[in-house]
Amino acid sequence: MSLLEVEDIHSYYGESHILQGISLEVEPGECVALIGRNGVGKTTTLRSILQLTPPREGTVRYRGEDVTGRPTHEVARMGVGWVPEERRMFSHLTVDENIRIATPPGNSVEAAFERAYSAFPELESHRGREAGDLSGGQQQMVAIARGLVGDNDLLLVDEPSEGLAPQIVAAVAEALKTVAEESTVLLVEQNFPLAMDVADRFYLLDHGTVVESGSTENVTRDDEMIRRYLSA
Amino acid sequence: MLVLYPFIYGFLTSISLSLLGVSLGELFTVFLPRVRTMVVVLYVGLFAMSFDFVSGYTGYLSFGHAMFYGIGAYFVVLVGTGKIPGLPAETPFMLIIVLAGVLAFLAALAVGAVSFRLTGVYFAMVTLGFAEVAHVFIRNWSYVGSNPRDGVGVVGRDGFAVGIPGIDALQFRLGRLAGDSFENVLGTGIDLGAAEVSFYAVGAVVLVCYFAMQRIIHSPFGRVMVAIRENEERAEAVGYNTFWYKLGAFGISGFFAAIGGALFAGYRRSVAPENTFDLFVTADALLAAIIGGFGTLAGALYGHLFHEFLQGIFTTESSGLARFLRDTLSEGILSAGVGEFTVLEFINVFIDGRAELYLGVIFVAFVLFVPRGILGSLRDRLGGPLAETIPERLRRYRR
Repeated sequence: MSLLEVEDIHSYYGESHILQGISLEVEPGECVALIGRNGVGKTTTLRSILQLTPPREGTVRYRGEDVTGRPTHEVARMGVGWVPEERRMFSHLTVDENIRIATPPGNSVEAAFERAYSAFPELESHRGREAGDLSGGQQQMVAIARGLVGDNDLLLVDEPSEGLAPQIVAAVAEALKTVAEESTVLLVEQNFPLAMDVADRFYLLDHGTVVESGSTENVTRDDEMIRRYLSA
Repeated sequence: MLVLYPFIYGFLTSISLSLLGVSLGELFTVFLPRVRTMVVVLYVGLFAMSFDFVSGYTGYLSFGHAMFYGIGAYFVVLVGTGKIPGLPAETPFMLIIVLAGVLAFLAALAVGAVSFRLTGVYFAMVTLGFAEVAHVFIRNWSYVGSNPRDGVGVVGRDGFAVGIPGIDALQFRLGRLAGDSFENVLGTGIDLGAAEVSFYAVGAVVLVCYFAMQRIIHSPFGRVMVAIRENEERAEAVGYNTFWYKLGAFGISGFFAAIGGALFAGYRRSVAPENTFDLFVTADALLAAIIGGFGTLAGALYGHLFHEFLQGIFTTESSGLARFLRDTLSEGILSAGVGEFTVLEFINVFIDGRAELYLGVIFVAFVLFVPRGILGSLRDRLGGPLAETIPERLRRYRR
């Protein structure tokens, strides 16, 4: 059984038809990348899985259970974590508080700190600072760390490299690989080499539909299909 | 500072020294809020803090907050006149306060259960709608008194005392007329008038409420409130059912708003729809929170202190600036001016009872130039809460 099955979902923002029948599957332990140009519906797909933008048609099944139309916090509690784009976090809370708030009730907060700061040692010296005061790369680390401590079986990671300097992107890529070893990841990424490096499989999106999918092995930027859909 | 205020005020206003022919004591009388005004600052400040508790920390503007203040105030007066079945008129004030808070807590849960289905401006409008319904209701509910439009007062009952129920020696009655006063307290030679006693008694309750709210904000529950303000979707995606957190915060806020209202009624011994359930009462809290600093809690109290400070200067009463200028300036200066428009005319038009004129301008200026408010800006400058940073700074200076 797939961990996540998305079947022919159609989602709208007001009247605009963003997702026009997206289907995809994620198996336990995989890292799957959603790639495609700006505005093709990658982020909306993640939002639809979390029911932040509930699809009007189609179904989202998690562990075989239909979650379409359920409240977001319930989906989150079933083990779906979200690392939103632009490192959106609680910027007036400290790094520690950001980690603490993402720790499910009943779990040890100390264990969560341990896990977060062993994955991102750089954050440890900034524990008491407000997350909004950190550098872009550090904020991204907080965002990923928060996903990490949430006991999530599936982590939805949205554009982790966006707006970061190249050296920092490399650090974030390493962090992502660590995360991908421990849990299942569905990654939205514009940075093609990064996506191919981290992910096992990919789905290529265009105009709200899946136009291509397959293993990331041996796929290069020169691939005719990839060129057609990725070059602006 | 606030703890010693009555003494500072008493000392400064009694200075008989003169400077350039103007008595310093009189100057202080004009510019310093009177002790009985400080009592108002305390209970309205508590109400403003309760408004900031929900609006400043979850980001949901509660435009109907006056309703909870009103519930607290009316509850006290109704109990005091023996109109609440099961509660005798002589019920200890401390118990009435808590019951008023619980009542408002329940009312807030009911209002919130409907209002929190909406966000932003719609939320604000729905809460305002509820409060206006309550306002109209209380204006026409003849059970309250023979003339509900003009409000009701407490008759018969001795007074409302803050203290520990059951211990007579630790009861301090509130009020300008009905309040307790003490001479030669504990043999120290200090006399406390009714206003001073009310100041400390009301202040003690407000302080307890402040610490309680502060504690909640720094608890995990409060951290979720802040998370909702910063990014509600994100809080949901972490797995929090934000609806229940918002509702809880609203209920707690209603509880403390009602205690503010109850203190008001206990001190004044009368209430009217216009000074409890009215939209302008909520507006006072909003003004206080904006000027003091949104999302700083204590800032709201200082914001209202600022409000009363201005109102005190521009009042038409004998302690106001207008009266002071008319009495102090010589006839020659007063009649000087351009044609009909003399200095006296200026005082009458622009100073005498004109606090609202300046408050409006100051409010706009704060929103534009000091968006973090008095306390928020101070915290930004000092890099943390004042209680932590000021001792730190002082230590540095001492070296």
